[in-house]
Amino acid sequence: MIEFVNVTKHYPGRRHVLREVNLRLGQGEMALLTGPSGAGKSTLLKLLTRLEDVSHGTLMVGGIDLATLRRRHIPAYRRRIGVVFQDHKLLMDRDIFSNVALTLQVAGVSGRLVESRVRAALERVGLGDRCREFPETLSGGEQQRVGIARAIVHTPEILLADEPTGNLDPALSTEILDLFRDFHHHGTTVLVATHDQAQVERLGMPVLHLEHGRLMVPKELS
Amino acid sequence: MNLHVRIQALRNARDTLLRQPAATLLTILALSVVLALPVGLFTVLGNLQNLLGHWRNQAQISLYLHRNAGPEATARLQARLERSPGVVGVRYVDQTEALAEFQHYSGMTAAIRTLGENPLPASLIVELDPLAQSPQSLAASVQRWSQDPAVASAQSDLQWVARLQAIVYLGTRAVWALALLLALGAVLVMGNTIRLHIAQRRDEIDISALVGATRSFIRRPFLYQGLIQGVLAGALAWLIVTAAIWYLQGPVTRLATLYGTRFPLVGLTPGQGLALVGLSAFLGWLGSRLAVGRHLDNTFS
Repeated sequence: MIEFVNVTKHYPGRRHVLREVNLRLGQGEMALLTGPSGAGKSTLLKLLTRLEDVSHGTLMVGGIDLATLRRRHIPAYRRRIGVVFQDHKLLMDRDIFSNVALTLQVAGVSGRLVESRVRAALERVGLGDRCREFPETLSGGEQQRVGIARAIVHTPEILLADEPTGNLDPALSTEILDLFRDFHHHGTTVLVATHDQAQVERLGMPVLHLEHGRLMVPKELS
Repeated sequence: MNLHVRIQALRNARDTLLRQPAATLLTILALSVVLALPVGLFTVLGNLQNLLGHWRNQAQISLYLHRNAGPEATARLQARLERSPGVVGVRYVDQTEALAEFQHYSGMTAAIRTLGENPLPASLIVELDPLAQSPQSLAASVQRWSQDPAVASAQSDLQWVARLQAIVYLGTRAVWALALLLALGAVLVMGNTIRLHIAQRRDEIDISALVGATRSFIRRPFLYQGLIQGVLAGALAWLIVTAAIWYLQGPVTRLATLYGTRFPLVGLTPGQGLALVGLSAFLGWLGSRLAVGRHLDNTFS
């Protein structure tokens, strides 16, 4: 499903952010991406969401070579993945329902279907009864759940999360990461970037550890 | 693209405008004033041309006929003149009528009597629309008519026609230049307004792009915003011009009465009004498109 082959990322006039990364994550697998701040975790996820281009190497996702993906095909590619951010990236002037519905609206899903799928996604993250509330009335953990609902409402093939528990206490972190594990059990390919070592040990999932842009323990996961 | 996506974008645009009613109203007012100015001037110019049309009896050419010109030749020439472009009337003045007019205007009755016979020739008085032809083509027409075998000589004063046309041409040019400048102003006003809306909704745009929105999906609500404001501004500009015409009609009527005439001002026809609304909608759409296009180039680069 996801395959990095000698992937390097550098910015003009700056050091390499990723150096010859090789990894493979099969369909329905889950891995945790760990490493200190500045190790390249977010950049790796940005390559996967095609927010950044690969400098060298090959990055294949679901049979698509992201290096040669045309700009006009990027939106369709992004609709195949779900992304969860550390800062949730919710629209504060819209209610929870509208925030989650956005993913379906950009995909052109019609109104009645949007209604049922948004409610189902919110039920799944435990916020089914709070559709019409606004994000500012929610706790940090609840806001992150909304972000997760938005990321999974269109049943993506791949779910990516960039430090989804970065601002949460241990109990909430456990809840959130258990949700990701739940999606993985339902067949979604999941890659979660985190530096929470306690959660990494608790989950017992395969770990991809980045140090200074290098994957320290390249693992064949499938 | 599905209809419900467009409806959703339209609702989105409407809600955004209604969320900031004061800003929306100010934008519409600014646009309508910018549009009403050139449209008002075009209307004034149109009315001026109508007024000049009322002066067509001032643009006359006298074709003096040979004494031996028979009634058939005269009738043939008159028919030819009446068919000519820019001619609004041809009047035959026979010798007796010419003498009576001369005596009436000059008062030289005694001097004429000493001549024994009527020395004045019959003539055809050609009344022209002074704006229908250029002075050059008018002069060419006069030259052609004067070469008719029935015509002895032609008398015309085309200098004032040339001056009048030059003034009207200058006015038209000036109004067009102003209209183009103000149309550019309308695009800039709308572009700047949409740019502010984009800045306010930057998060929404970025998140939409992240979850797979296409350029057109993101752009559409902003284009609809420009379109809605353009339509409303165009309608308001139409109203402003109509109100201005109504406001000016009283003084114009009083002035016309002093000159012993009537002069009803003409406003925008329904067709012209709708064209104004359409043009305004286009300018609103164009301003939005330019503003949002620049932003999306950055978002999707």
